Amino acid sequence: MLIQVEQLVKDYQLNKNQKGFFHAIKNLLMPEYQKKRAVNGISFSISEGEMVGFIGPNGAGKSTTVKILSGVLKPTSGKVIVNGMDPFRNRKKYVSQIGVVFGQRTQLWWDLPAEDTFDLLKTIYKIPDATFKKNMDMFSEMLDLHEFLHQPVRQLSLGQRMRADIAAAMIHEPAILFFDEPTIGLDIVAKERIREFIRSMNQEKGITMLFTTHDMQDIEKTCERMIVIDRGDIVCDSKVDEIRQFSDSERKLTVKFGRQYDRIELPGAQMIKEAGNTKTFQFRTNEVKIPELIAELMSRYEVLDLTVQETDIESIIKQIYEGGAPAYESVS
Amino acid sequence: MYPLRLFLKYFQLTLKVTLQYKFDRVLIAAAVMIREMAGVIILILMLNRFVMIKGWQIDEILFLYSFLFLSYSLFVFFFTGIRDFEDLVYSGEFDRFLVRPVGILFQVIASKVDYTAALGHGVLGIILLQKTASQLGIEWTASGILFYILMLLGGALIQASIFMIASTFCFWTVRTTNLRNMLFFNSRKIAAYPLSFYPGLIQKFLIYVIPFGFVNYFPAQYFLKKPEMNEFWSGFMFLNPVVAAVLFALVCLVWNYGLKHYSSTGNALY
Repeated sequence: MLIQVEQLVKDYQLNKNQKGFFHAIKNLLMPEYQKKRAVNGISFSISEGEMVGFIGPNGAGKSTTVKILSGVLKPTSGKVIVNGMDPFRNRKKYVSQIGVVFGQRTQLWWDLPAEDTFDLLKTIYKIPDATFKKNMDMFSEMLDLHEFLHQPVRQLSLGQRMRADIAAAMIHEPAILFFDEPTIGLDIVAKERIREFIRSMNQEKGITMLFTTHDMQDIEKTCERMIVIDRGDIVCDSKVDEIRQFSDSERKLTVKFGRQYDRIELPGAQMIKEAGNTKTFQFRTNEVKIPELIAELMSRYEVLDLTVQETDIESIIKQIYEGGAPAYESVS
Repeated sequence: MYPLRLFLKYFQLTLKVTLQYKFDRVLIAAAVMIREMAGVIILILMLNRFVMIKGWQIDEILFLYSFLFLSYSLFVFFFTGIRDFEDLVYSGEFDRFLVRPVGILFQVIASKVDYTAALGHGVLGIILLQKTASQLGIEWTASGILFYILMLLGGALIQASIFMIASTFCFWTVRTTNLRNMLFFNSRKIAAYPLSFYPGLIQKFLIYVIPFGFVNYFPAQYFLKKPEMNEFWSGFMFLNPVVAAVLFALVCLVWNYGLKHYSSTGNALY
């Protein structure tokens, strides 16, 4: 196992700020601290060459996990071993083998053309001339860097900046790459481009990757495995395919009834939404056949209109966040 | 030489950034110089009413001042990153330093240079030094020049240590800029005058607490040879490099301890 995380916990100490002038004074003299648990004893492992997506709502602990894995933060407790090293203790040696992209922050020098940053990185990581040139050529071709490499970074679009940032994190040929929201704020085309690049780097070079995102599409299109994290806990860790299968079998049935019914019973389907005479049901095709269900419905009630919809992964994730889908906790 | 090569690379980039806004930066440098010069002019106007204070003539006091300007110039040239450390932590940029296989302090120091302040203070310092040294008839022997340069380096390091202690609090995300500025710049103002002008408590403060006395007053005695130096231990005159080295080493220890408690910032800032 290349990355091994066991019972990882991270607490932040927050200054307890209360409203009001009196409290402000009190706070100045006697600061009160409050513990906030960002990561709550998570365990997972990632093997070499794997590509894993970390998905979760804001504040779920994704960024904290990435920061711990990249040696920025010291874990409160638990074990983290990456590539045989403790990221925090062996920081200097460890970080030369990883690349990190913080999507929200650039590592490029804001006032200078991106090529200056690349030049600096070449010196920092002691990259030989030939390797540097080879990698730069490759990135230029795949990400079209040459179009804007000579422009000051402050004039670049977000998509261009992100492309340059990703290339900058990879210029020293790291064995492991961590992305913290690499597609945040990008348009569809730019997102697609970055996904494609990430995917091909994983497949061709066998770089192990872990990235966090809010965007389910990112995961569907690039990762084989996904870990869903919410409020510091891993709520699901499984193959993307399996979740897709799960979503494949799930359907939503929306029915508009001709008149008011107090109780509607449909064997095999559960009502999940109700708005006047329009009601939405959920069922699985491996439990109930669609024609049978509809026949049943028609025979019992007066129906004006009905639609059957597939469930996308996104809504499954939403269910997982909301604490639903209990049968689904440990697929892998 | 990897560290040197890397340092030069950083140097090249910081210089390039400054040159991106040539006009602006020249104006800032001029503004810094004028601001500091105003202090000097007020000093001159005030002192002109007296021929001497406690045996000090005006040129001697300005000579004392030249140490402050030149050592501050050196300090900002090498340690701007430490002076502005708080911004680095608050903006989250510091995380980036931690994922690079280079010493943290090295990156903090190398990645930022305030050329405008270095220039503003430096030019003023050189003007003052040139004017006063010739007025006072100081002979520049080889050992004298070496001594002066060594004292400036030590002075820069002492000032860096003071800023670095303040920056350590950033690891616990405590803002101390105001306290730091109050202590540092007021001590510096006090140190503009000879130590012997002050009551014993303030003298001790500038020797043992915020050791600005070693930045200018004691080194200047080497050239001015004032009789009042008898009140202090004569070794103080040469102690600047020792104070600088010991202080900096101690502060580095504290800083490294603080680094272990660094807790990053959230993503909400940008």
